[in-house]
Amino acid sequence: MNKKKIMALVMAVMMIISLTACNSQNSATTAQTESTSAPESKAEQSDIQNDAGWYSEYYDAETMKGKTLNMYGVTDSDPILAEFTKDTGIVIANLVMKNGEILQRLINEKESGVVIADLWFTGGADTFISASQQGLLHPYKSPVGNELEDIMKDKDGYWHGTSLTLVNWVINTELIEKNNLIMPEAWEDLLQDGLKGEVSMSDPASSGTAYNTVSAILQVRGEEAGWEYLDKLIAQVPFFTARGSDPANMVINGEAIVGINASNGDREMEENNEHIKLVYPADGTGWWPQPVAIIEGTENLDEAKVFVDWILSKRGMEAYARIRNAAVARKDVEIPEGIININDINLFPVDFQANAESRDQILLDWAEHIQ
Amino acid sequence: MKQKNSKLIKILYGLIIGFLVYFILLPVMSVIVYGIKSENSLFFSMKGLERSLGYLKNSLIVSFSVTAIATCTGVMLAFTLNRIKFVGRGLLKLLVLLPFVNPPFVGSISYIMLFGRRGLISNKLLGLSISPYGPWGIVVIQVLGLSSLAYILIASSIKKTDTTLEAAARNLGANENDILRSITIPMMLPEISSTALLVFLASMADFSTPLIIGGNFQTLASDLYIQITGLFDMKSAAVSGLILLIPCIAAFVIQKYHLQKKSYFTEETLSSSIEYEEINAYTKFFLISFTAIFISFIFIKYFFIIVGAFTKQWGYNYTLTFSHVNELIGKQYKPFINSIKLAFITASLGSFLGMLIAYLIRFKKLFLSNFVDFAATLPAAVPGILFGIGYLVAFKYPILGIGKWIFTDIKPWILLGTGSIIYLIMIARFINTGLRSGYALLEHINPDMEKASYNLGAGEIETFFRIMAPLMKDAFFASFIRAFTSGMITLGAIIFLLMPSNKVAVQQIFQVVNGGNIGAGAAISLTLSLLTLFLLGVFYTLFNIVEYMKVIKRNKDRLNIWK
Repeated sequence: MNKKKIMALVMAVMMIISLTACNSQNSATTAQTESTSAPESKAEQSDIQNDAGWYSEYYDAETMKGKTLNMYGVTDSDPILAEFTKDTGIVIANLVMKNGEILQRLINEKESGVVIADLWFTGGADTFISASQQGLLHPYKSPVGNELEDIMKDKDGYWHGTSLTLVNWVINTELIEKNNLIMPEAWEDLLQDGLKGEVSMSDPASSGTAYNTVSAILQVRGEEAGWEYLDKLIAQVPFFTARGSDPANMVINGEAIVGINASNGDREMEENNEHIKLVYPADGTGWWPQPVAIIEGTENLDEAKVFVDWILSKRGMEAYARIRNAAVARKDVEIPEGIININDINLFPVDFQANAESRDQILLDWAEHIQ
Repeated sequence: MKQKNSKLIKILYGLIIGFLVYFILLPVMSVIVYGIKSENSLFFSMKGLERSLGYLKNSLIVSFSVTAIATCTGVMLAFTLNRIKFVGRGLLKLLVLLPFVNPPFVGSISYIMLFGRRGLISNKLLGLSISPYGPWGIVVIQVLGLSSLAYILIASSIKKTDTTLEAAARNLGANENDILRSITIPMMLPEISSTALLVFLASMADFSTPLIIGGNFQTLASDLYIQITGLFDMKSAAVSGLILLIPCIAAFVIQKYHLQKKSYFTEETLSSSIEYEEINAYTKFFLISFTAIFISFIFIKYFFIIVGAFTKQWGYNYTLTFSHVNELIGKQYKPFINSIKLAFITASLGSFLGMLIAYLIRFKKLFLSNFVDFAATLPAAVPGILFGIGYLVAFKYPILGIGKWIFTDIKPWILLGTGSIIYLIMIARFINTGLRSGYALLEHINPDMEKASYNLGAGEIETFFRIMAPLMKDAFFASFIRAFTSGMITLGAIIFLLMPSNKVAVQQIFQVVNGGNIGAGAAISLTLSLLTLFLLGVFYTLFNIVEYMKVIKRNKDRLNIWK
């Protein structure tokens, strides 16, 4: 008699637990908030604004402390966000996805009138441009944005660049030596015989890295010469990987000798692997800014603006440079040692607007050329 | 004599139908409509169609190979590990389950490190330089993972084998080969065919393995992911999804309605009695060595993930380090909690609903039962990533999707952007697990038992809880375990529905592996595996303690009677 009752009870309890847990989904995030926000007094506050290298007219410590914002991005920015929380008490939960996924989500969320993310930080400039054209972003001309060069920001304030992502080559030096190859320095060097089947590159259709590389080569060399070079390059690549991060991994594992890669820092790759060297092509390379933008319709507009002001400030940029080893967008920021100096690198002149607009055509052409 | 169904049963049944229509049929229909409607999609250009059909061919090549190999392997493993006695069997039985708690991404990486062009075994040991990328890489990885699934499903039926039939044939002078061919295998055929179906569907739906190891050989499922994330084109993704859906539904329908199930009413047999007494020494040797070799592959793969988690640069520099683990400890633990919560809740609710539906359909003879059965099993045929897109398309409108036409301003009723949407999609998927588990059990239960209870005057609810529930609880537990384990590592269905506030551990792994930090990926995935194993142990203990207490109680009662 009793055992059936126990069974029934167990099942009932399970269901009740389940239902309550479902409901408490949203409150769970706030609990986390409280544990991470550091207490700050009013007096300290004004110090920070004067000396700590950041200021935002929208910042109100009283009401904002302990708030949680949601963010989409393509890189794990948690250590930088932790610095932001330390300064402001605002917590940011970051969901990492691919560019296309973010764009797709924003489109869907706009259609349904739901706003999940307040901010979008890091990604390809072309996706930000596309998003601003579709009305997915909220324009905010941050006063700190004046410090940035024009090419680093949208003229209407839809997005601001925070750092530079540079196209580079990840090279397995051990295999270069072993196979008696010339250490590649210029783009033509990738065409040497010994690298046939040993160059790894991602598919421009699915990877921003490859797309920016291809479009930069086309812009710099012109349509005809550009495709001529690309045809030769395509012949060197055994297959095009789905993701931009694959080529670097393949080179590290010895599956390929040279990988076309993009990095926003990544000094660890060289530090952790004695056989790996990052090389920036001497005759120029593709690049794009890593922007930050506010999502249209956010209910936390002021807090979002505070983040934009913060990340563009001296304090934010220094934290960014230090944590990610990245070349940041502001030139007046003291750069820690070991970070690549953008003045030493030959950057392709890139037109991001054109980049975003000609995307479909370039991809169609690309599909023809790889057949 | 036909039993009349009470109002309660009918209301319950109505609610279940409502749930199935809303959370299974509506999203599936939405994604189909969405795909067909998109006139500017690739589908309507011949080239786009050609492209999709090319991927379809790839998908089918991989899935058919995987299904054939994994199902055969599963059968052989199940026979060897359950019906042949040998030393070390217990250990192998444990190890064969390893892939269950193994997030797939690092498995593929492990394979590249071992068998790649400069891999540890292929290159350093054997001096070969073969590219691991391509269809065979996918097949190997999927076989290693899915054979365990096949093993579990077949082993559970093998334990229920009615050995008296075999014994009878043996007494009549039949040899072991004939018995195997004409009795044992036919008796297990329903299980084998449904296993093959599940393996086929799992293989078709797997998008991460081709992504990591397919090279230029991509399948429809991985192309779906690439189309959304890379091409920013959900419409043409939905079209590819339709093409992916066709063979899945076809296989599902063929298995379901054409490989008619024969039912055998057998009481539960003791598993100790199913072992073969006499078996050909060669056969025995072959089966045992096959099993041992196969399982050592699984073990090597797993072991190598452990190596990856504790060495400096997996695949290149094998200096011992704790940095990946330390990094993990400093990180957020929240995704792990989210994973456990999600898996636990959805596995218990999904299993319970599934069992309930199985019971209602098989024993209650209600209207629309074919429809209910179809709707409840449908998510098994729909690749997770596509089902997720269906949810996205359907539930971005108010009032659970239908508000697209009626209520356009009511915000709180939009499921998209609430935490519950990922719970609902997982429950919808796990109903099938419960249903199968329920069917498998009810096939071995004689409905007369229930009738006897009615005849003795027990009501519907009392009969369910006194007769059926105790019989079904093992099946519930089995289903829960299976759903929980898969819930901890499911990504496809929820990848487009997750929010910054409820991201799960498996998504973190995917992200870390994507970012190229494979050592850290190995460390997190190992943690997730161990956590899952630990929780399974906890559930198992709890479940058995309840059982044990009941046995004690029963014995006490008996003693009291004697007094």
